[in-house]
Amino acid sequence: MKCSEAHKLISPYIDSELSEKERNAVENHLNVCPGCRTELEETRQLQGLFEGVAEYKAPYGFQTRVMANLAAGRPAKRYSIPILTRFAEAVAVIGVIAIGMISGASLVKGPSPEKAQIMVASLSLDLFEPTPPGSLGGVYLAMTEVRDEK
Amino acid sequence: MTTQSDDLHLIERFKDGDNSAFEELILKYQDRIYNLCRHMLGNAHDAEDMAQDSFIKAYQNLKRFRPEASFYTWLYRIAVNTCLDFKKRPFFESLFRTSDKGEEFVLEPISEGPSPEKELETRQMMHALQKGLAQLSPKFRTVLILREMEGFSYEEIAEVLDLSTGTVKSRISRAREELKKSMTKFTEQKRN
Repeated sequence: MKCSEAHKLISPYIDSELSEKERNAVENHLNVCPGCRTELEETRQLQGLFEGVAEYKAPYGFQTRVMANLAAGRPAKRYSIPILTRFAEAVAVIGVIAIGMISGASLVKGPSPEKAQIMVASLSLDLFEPTPPGSLGGVYLAMTEVRDEK
Repeated sequence: MTTQSDDLHLIERFKDGDNSAFEELILKYQDRIYNLCRHMLGNAHDAEDMAQDSFIKAYQNLKRFRPEASFYTWLYRIAVNTCLDFKKRPFFESLFRTSDKGEEFVLEPISEGPSPEKELETRQMMHALQKGLAQLSPKFRTVLILREMEGFSYEEIAEVLDLSTGTVKSRISRAREELKKSMTKFTEQKRN
């Protein structure tokens, strides 16, 4: 038996899932192959680790809750994803990536000169009045300006 | 009376309209189904939800159950598919649920009273096992849980997963190989 064949049979060998003929063939190979013996030991150690995992018990009142749900006519949840939902998810992800790329590109490139001018103008302090429109302060300033002109 | 004939008797009673027979079936299998869901999903909340769903689906379909099949492998098939469907749930649903990372395994008390070093080593190996299992694909994780934690034979696993025993044999072998690789990787990362 070659190592490649033994490699496939080591797992069923430790699970006692081989025929007598296969088991004898594996054992004959293991007697002469230290590499496959190491693999057997490692697989056994792995199996031993599972023995240390505790078994969980259903929480208290589980059966009562199932029967109550059945009496209330609660249907079992369905989590299998319809193709349309998968498609919608993919479209949403692509959309978010595309928006990110476009806004990233506009940040790197910067606005056109005309747009830049408009933006600078919109930020100009000239747009701000010294007082809120229609306020008493505004009336007072207007009156003082008229008086100064006189 | 064997377990299978016990189950068939309860199913017959249920089909005749006796709902208490289904309650007896829940009591008989709730720990095993919950344990399976807990290992498949990694946390208590999701495990209880999916174990409940499995019994609800079993209740709804029990009238169509064929007596030539084994009831517990039929029930396990429902539970495995329920957990796998839950794992595949849409991304937006998973945002509003508990983490998929899972919890630490609860270790069985070690009877020989090991040294602190030995206990630490065991804990580290169990941690690596948990991490390794979480990284396996669902099909590998499922066969290992059924084999190692539920103690199913290859034939029973084949029946639960609707596969040939040859496929189960090679899948378990590959799953163990993958698990060993990711555990080694994890322990090496920890050392560095």
